[in-house]
Amino acid sequence: MKMRSKVLAVVALMGLVAGACGGSGDGVQSGEESGGLSATFDGVKDGGTLYVLTYAEGASTLDPQRVYTGAELGAWGSTFTRTLTSYKPVAGKDGTSLVADLATDLGTASDDLKTWSFTLRDGITWQDGSEVTCADVAYGVSRTFGSEVTAFEGPQYAVSYLDIPAGDYDTGSAYPGPWLATEEEQALFDEAVNCDGKTITFKLKVPVADFNFTVSLLAFAPVPEAQDTADQYGLMPFSNGPFKVEAYEEGKELVLVRNESWNADSDEVREPKVDKIVWQFGLDETVIDERMLADSGDDKNAIVYGGILPENLQTVFGDDTLKDRRTDGFDGFVSYTMVNVETVSCVEVRQAIWMAIDREALRTASGGPFTGEFATSFVAPLLADDYEPAKLPEGVNADGTPNVEAATAKMEEAKEKCPEVYAKATEDGLRFDHPDTDTWKKNMAIWIDSLGAAGIKIIDNPIEPSKYYATINGDQGDLMLAGWAADWTNASTVIPELFGQGGGFNYHNNEEDPAFADFQAKVDEAKLETDRAAQSKLWKELNQYVIDQVWSIPGSATKAQNLVGSNVRGAYQWLPFGWYNLGDLGLAG
Amino acid sequence: MGGTGSDTMSEAVASGAAVSEGLSPFRLGLARVRGNRGAVIAFWVVVFYVFVAAFAPVLVRILNIDPYALDREAINDFGLPAGPMGGISWDHPFGVEPGTGRDILGRLMYGARVSLLVGAIGTFLTTVVGVTLGIVAGLRRGFVDALISRLGDVTLAFPSLLLIIALANPMTQRLESWGVPAGNTARITYIMTVLTLFGWVYMARLVRGQVLSLREREFVEAARSFGAGTGHLVFKQLLPNLWPQIIVFVSLSLPGYVALEATLSFLGVGLLAPAASWGIMLGDSVRYYRAAPTYLFIPGVTLMVLVLAFNLLGDGLRDAFDPRSDRQQL
Repeated sequence: MKMRSKVLAVVALMGLVAGACGGSGDGVQSGEESGGLSATFDGVKDGGTLYVLTYAEGASTLDPQRVYTGAELGAWGSTFTRTLTSYKPVAGKDGTSLVADLATDLGTASDDLKTWSFTLRDGITWQDGSEVTCADVAYGVSRTFGSEVTAFEGPQYAVSYLDIPAGDYDTGSAYPGPWLATEEEQALFDEAVNCDGKTITFKLKVPVADFNFTVSLLAFAPVPEAQDTADQYGLMPFSNGPFKVEAYEEGKELVLVRNESWNADSDEVREPKVDKIVWQFGLDETVIDERMLADSGDDKNAIVYGGILPENLQTVFGDDTLKDRRTDGFDGFVSYTMVNVETVSCVEVRQAIWMAIDREALRTASGGPFTGEFATSFVAPLLADDYEPAKLPEGVNADGTPNVEAATAKMEEAKEKCPEVYAKATEDGLRFDHPDTDTWKKNMAIWIDSLGAAGIKIIDNPIEPSKYYATINGDQGDLMLAGWAADWTNASTVIPELFGQGGGFNYHNNEEDPAFADFQAKVDEAKLETDRAAQSKLWKELNQYVIDQVWSIPGSATKAQNLVGSNVRGAYQWLPFGWYNLGDLGLAG
Repeated sequence: MGGTGSDTMSEAVASGAAVSEGLSPFRLGLARVRGNRGAVIAFWVVVFYVFVAAFAPVLVRILNIDPYALDREAINDFGLPAGPMGGISWDHPFGVEPGTGRDILGRLMYGARVSLLVGAIGTFLTTVVGVTLGIVAGLRRGFVDALISRLGDVTLAFPSLLLIIALANPMTQRLESWGVPAGNTARITYIMTVLTLFGWVYMARLVRGQVLSLREREFVEAARSFGAGTGHLVFKQLLPNLWPQIIVFVSLSLPGYVALEATLSFLGVGLLAPAASWGIMLGDSVRYYRAAPTYLFIPGVTLMVLVLAFNLLGDGLRDAFDPRSDRQQL
């Protein structure tokens, strides 16, 4: 899942200075906080309107085949888009376990793990009362191939897994999606995904041991062909969950109301409580924090999408009266700095960059230990099976502080071994791409300062935040900021995606690196490994491999903090999505 | 001074007449400004800012502060200034920037360089372009006047601030490809260019109006009847009479440009890290008004005092040079 790039809304500067410094800050420490009373369902009543306050100008999309942001996957999945399987709606590690949703069970795989079938439940309906059919699921899956509409925005697992021949379309497939396909092309898809009554069968070109996790992504959710409005579907999707979209206007609001046609008996996952969920878009972040702290009126029934501003963490976590309303925990993401391995083709220079960078100062500038723990792995600690702290390259300080001496020595080595890259790093400078935010203006000062100490020059290249990933997709700098979380609890959605051949989020240009062939061979091996323990071992080795080659510099396993209104119940951090289980939230009082 | 403007004027005229047989309007005005206490104080405030900006590198060394050095000791684990009042201490007289611990006083001093540089060069360029086009329009009249005036109308009709923000990135890159040194030099060049492109109209309109009325006056007619060329008319006859208006206009538009530089930086069309600018500081500080109010307050007051001083000085100049103004002085 892509990391949301946070945009600070520009506020009009008023000459008002209000409020005093809150708390001393001493003794306030980051630790796991579950949300106390607000995470439970104590005193919850049916009904009421839940508000979601956010700085965002709108949802990234409501289209199931296009959404790829963690919190939104969870939010839309729990309200209006059901999938064959989904995650157990509980707090803690149990929340990453799979449950049957539209399907009657977790699916049946053939022995070679190349054929997976799921049977739909009885009584599942769309918002107009019609039945959710196997054809609807197949049609939904086929939409991912239509890149002229879905624009590669959603996960591409359907394209990479389904047994459809390679072809000339933008996705690399011979099938262009339902809107453009000729009869013969559609037959290719129907061959790979076919329906027999209520049973849908997926034929895969590679064995996938956990394909039932894959289908929990909204990209595998059903869409009724008759209701499909192609690129407009994201504005008014058709619901088969407990809520339906009543109104959606970017910059203003999204209103979800109860879907009367939803059949509670057919749904063992969702337990809706409120009548209405209203998203309010485009609010000022500072104002959101003020309103949440004040907790008055409707804001008692409000949650926030976007977290607490770092400058307010001291106030929120220094005040124990907020204990029952605040959460603090890993959000599943790892932030990191990608190195363009093609332009910085010298491992010594890459190591020197890591040795020299002051990760401690960077973390402090964005809010300190609350923002995350220093990562040594691109796999987040939440993926317990596949996570193992890697051994850092010799000379990199584990506490995040810079090691100028080691970095300078490494640069001397580089001067001998790869004079061209050395000259580029010291004279021309390395271009650093990052979203243009206030926090990053300061972070750049730290990058320039700490790398300058080792003689490495940095050229600042701020990019408009909403266009960031689209920009680096076409034009990569020498260093690029990024963040990633697993799509499900398997590092197969991390390592190959970020570093492997054709990985959906691989901007490292590492394919020409001498070390790449070995790496890719092992990635292919790990993907095919069906023994989960053996596979985990391979992922850990591959992570170590990336660390040794410094294709990327891990930053932090990031944490998120939130504050909810005092009436809100059930606001636990749902691990697969790093946010709440929106559809199950309830109100007390 | 307790007297009214017209009193001071008559005093100045009287004393001036006693000393020598005639003073130019320019010198007469200067004499009157000297009598305006508010304007004099404002003048010294401006001089102080210019001095601080000019000698910032020396001053920070004397004060032992560094606008660029990160100071981890000065911020706590939240990245917020350690200690009360935004981290004000002997080491950091105005406190430190949240997140990095950089010294606010030092950054204010370096920020003054940017603000005043943009303000001064922006004003200079708009003045040169505006005065030239204004004189040309007023003297030539006819088609040339119509052309310049319509051009001005069109320029004013542009939503300039939006355009400046939207064009910032592509134009900066274009400038860099034309050989302007990449980074902040290109960014400042861009800001200067657009300020001139959009700012010349006001000055041109003012000068054109003055020239239109002056060119019919007897002394201009007289010079012309003696066969004076355009050069003589412009430099000997018109410009000396235009200076008071130009000076007043300049002193009033300078603070506008200083504030505009801050606005643009605030909106993100500013300098790259780690450079300091008041706009960047103000833009950043708004987030911290709860945790470190001094960080918002100090740059805000610094900018306000400078703009106020420029405005008071401009007002004083206008009172002095425009005999029709009749105002009680504070």
